[in-house]
Amino acid sequence: MSETKHGMEWNRREFLRGSSLAALATVLGGVRLVQPAARAAETPPPPTGERVKVGLIGLGQWGRELLDQLMRLPAAEVAAICDNYPPMVRRSRTKAPDALATENYREVLDNKDITAVVVATPTHQHKEIVLAALEAGKHVYCEVPLAHTVDEAREIARAALKHNRQVFQSGLQLRSDPQRHFLLPFIRSGALGRMAMARAQWHKKTSWRFTSPNPEREAEINWRLSPEISPGLMGEVGIHQLDQVSWFLNHWPTAVHGFGTVAFWRDGRKVPDTVQAVVEYPEGLRLLYSATLANSYEADAEIYYGSDAAVLIRGSSAWMFKEADAPLLGWEVYARKDAFYQATGISLRADASKLKTRGAEAEAQTEAADPPVYFALEAFLRNSREVTNAVRDFTSLYGDTDPQALADYLAQEVRRLPAADALDGYRATVLALKANEAVVRGQPVALAPEMFELS
Amino acid sequence: MMTLLAPIKMGASRARGVGARTTGRSLRIASVGLLVAALSAVAAEGWTRLGPKPGGHSKVRIEGTSTIHDWQVESPLIGGSLELGPKFPKSPDEAKPGKLDVRAQVFIPVSSLKSVKDDGTPYSTAMDDIMHGKLLKTEHPRILYTLQELTLKEGGAKESGLYEAEAVGDLVVAGVTNRVTFPVKIQVHPDNHVTVSGEVALKMSDFKIEPPAPKIAFGLIKTGDEVKVKFQWEVFPR
Repeated sequence: MSETKHGMEWNRREFLRGSSLAALATVLGGVRLVQPAARAAETPPPPTGERVKVGLIGLGQWGRELLDQLMRLPAAEVAAICDNYPPMVRRSRTKAPDALATENYREVLDNKDITAVVVATPTHQHKEIVLAALEAGKHVYCEVPLAHTVDEAREIARAALKHNRQVFQSGLQLRSDPQRHFLLPFIRSGALGRMAMARAQWHKKTSWRFTSPNPEREAEINWRLSPEISPGLMGEVGIHQLDQVSWFLNHWPTAVHGFGTVAFWRDGRKVPDTVQAVVEYPEGLRLLYSATLANSYEADAEIYYGSDAAVLIRGSSAWMFKEADAPLLGWEVYARKDAFYQATGISLRADASKLKTRGAEAEAQTEAADPPVYFALEAFLRNSREVTNAVRDFTSLYGDTDPQALADYLAQEVRRLPAADALDGYRATVLALKANEAVVRGQPVALAPEMFELS
Repeated sequence: MMTLLAPIKMGASRARGVGARTTGRSLRIASVGLLVAALSAVAAEGWTRLGPKPGGHSKVRIEGTSTIHDWQVESPLIGGSLELGPKFPKSPDEAKPGKLDVRAQVFIPVSSLKSVKDDGTPYSTAMDDIMHGKLLKTEHPRILYTLQELTLKEGGAKESGLYEAEAVGDLVVAGVTNRVTFPVKIQVHPDNHVTVSGEVALKMSDFKIEPPAPKIAFGLIKTGDEVKVKFQWEVFPR
C-alpha cells in the first residue's frame, strides 16, 4: 500500500522538530514509537449517500464496544442492532435509537437497505449467521476466531471467497492498525539485527464468568467456560497476538506446545485460566506466549528480540531497546526516550511525514486515541462501499455477463484499506485453535504448511 | 505535446442553459430521451452500434498540477455507445473532409476514477475522497459526454483506417454542461472494432469546481485550475 510506505519515510529533521525539550530531557528513558491520532480526524466525513448502512449482530461486551466505535465512525450508519437476548437489545437501544432493534438476525439480513453486517456473537454461533449473511449478499465483518472448529472456520472462509463481490473481513483488528503497519517493515527490515525470539502476553484479572438469575441464560453466556465449545484463552484472546507475531515474522509456525491450568478461578471450571505456549517458527525462532485471568501485571505486550535491539509493542506505543554494540541508526539520537527500570526505550513513531505537513505540534507527544478496532471497522466500511460502487460501475458498462472479468476488475481497481481477509482469518483461527488444543491436551501439535491453506 | 492540446471553444450553447447545474430530474429526462434516440438509431437502416466490452483497452486519465506535485487520476471504465451511420466511409479512400456520420454518447462513473502515481500505481484513498467530493459523486455519479458534430480534417483519412477529426460535444461534469471542441483519432480496425483517442485541456472553474486546497500545511497546497484529459476508448460491434 502506497500509504503505508508513505508513512514509513523517516525524516531526521522532523524527529528533531517533533521532540520537545522535555522529551530530550528524558534521554535516559525508553524510546517510544507512537502513531499520532491525526488520521481519523483529517478524513472528511463522507456525504450522506456514501454512508454504509450496517447491522450489528451480537450485543455482548465486545459487541457493545463495536457499537461504540461504529457510532463514532462518520462512514457508518448503524441501521440495525440484534441480539437473541431481549435485555441486551434494550440495553444498546439507547445508543442507537434510530436503528432497527431485533432479536432475530434474519430480520437484519432480509433488510435490503442494509449492505453490511458485523457479527460479534459467541464464536460457535458465527457459522450459521455468517453463511446466511453472505448468501443474503451482505458484506461481512466476522469476529475472530472465525469459528470454534477448524472445519467450520474453513466453511466460512470458503463461502467468503466464493462471494467475491462482497467484502469479508476477519476481526483481526491489529492488521488494520496504522501503528502496526508502521512497525511491520521496521521489524521485517532487519533493524533488530538477527531475530532471536519473540515473547507475547495477555494478563488481566477477570473471571470470564457472567451471572444471570436465569440458569439457562447463565449457561449460555458462559460459553467461554464450556470445554466443548470454548476456544479457550488461546483462541479467544491469544489469536490476535499469535497472528501478529506470525505476520511480523512472515512465517506460519511449524508446531505449538501448550500448557494450561486453573490457577485461581477454582469455581469448578475446566477451561484453564492460565496458559502458556511455545510456538515454533522456521529457523529456530520461537514465540513464548502467556495469558492469564489471575494477574494483570504488565497487561498485554509483544516483544521482539534481535541481536541489535529489542522492540516492545504495548497498545499504540512501541519502544526500541538497543544493544551497546548495535550500529547507530541516526534518528534515535533525537527520538523521545522513556525509562524502563535500568533500560532506555527509544520511541518508534509512525508518520514523520504527517508531522512535516502539520508542523511540529504538541500532538507529537501524544498517543493514538483510536484503538485498532476503530481502524479495522473504518477499513471494513470503506472497503464495503468501494466494492459496492465498483460492482455497480462495472455492470453499468458491461452488464453482468462476465463474472471473471468483474472479479479481475475488483481485484485490480478497488483500493482497499488494509484489513484481514478470509484467508488471514482462517489461518489465524487454525493457529489459535491448534494452540488451544495443545493447551487442553498438554501435548505438542505439529502444524503442517497445508493446514494453513484452504484447498 | 503542446500542439496536441486543443483550445476549448465554449459558449456556443450557453443559451440552452449550459453553464448551470442541471437537476437530477432534468438529467434523467435527458438520459431517457437519449436512450430513445439510441434505440431508434439501432432500428435505423445501416447504423452500426458499438460499445465497450470487458477486457477492452479503455482508459481515461486526468492530469493536473499543484504547488507540491503534479497529480493524475485514472479510470478504465468508459461506457456508452458509438454509432457509425450508413454514410460513414467504408474505406479511407472514399472519405471526404467534412461532417462524419457518427453519433456518440459516453459516460464515466465518477467513483471509478482513482488517484494514481505517475506510473499508474495507486496513490491515495484520501485523495480519491477529496476528488470524488469535488466532482459531486453522490449527486452526479457520472461524467457525461454527448457528441454533437464530428468533422473529418483535410487529409485526415489515413490508409491504415485512421480518421483524424474534430469533435464538438457537450460535456457534463458535476452537473455543469460545457460545449467542448477537441481533436480525436478514430482507428477502425480490420475486425471492425474501433478505438477512439484524444486529449483535451479543461478548466475546473468552467465546471464550477473550486480547485482543491487542503487545509493541512496551513493552506500552502493549492491545485492548478487547468487539467488535461487524455482518453482511449475501445468499442466493439454490438
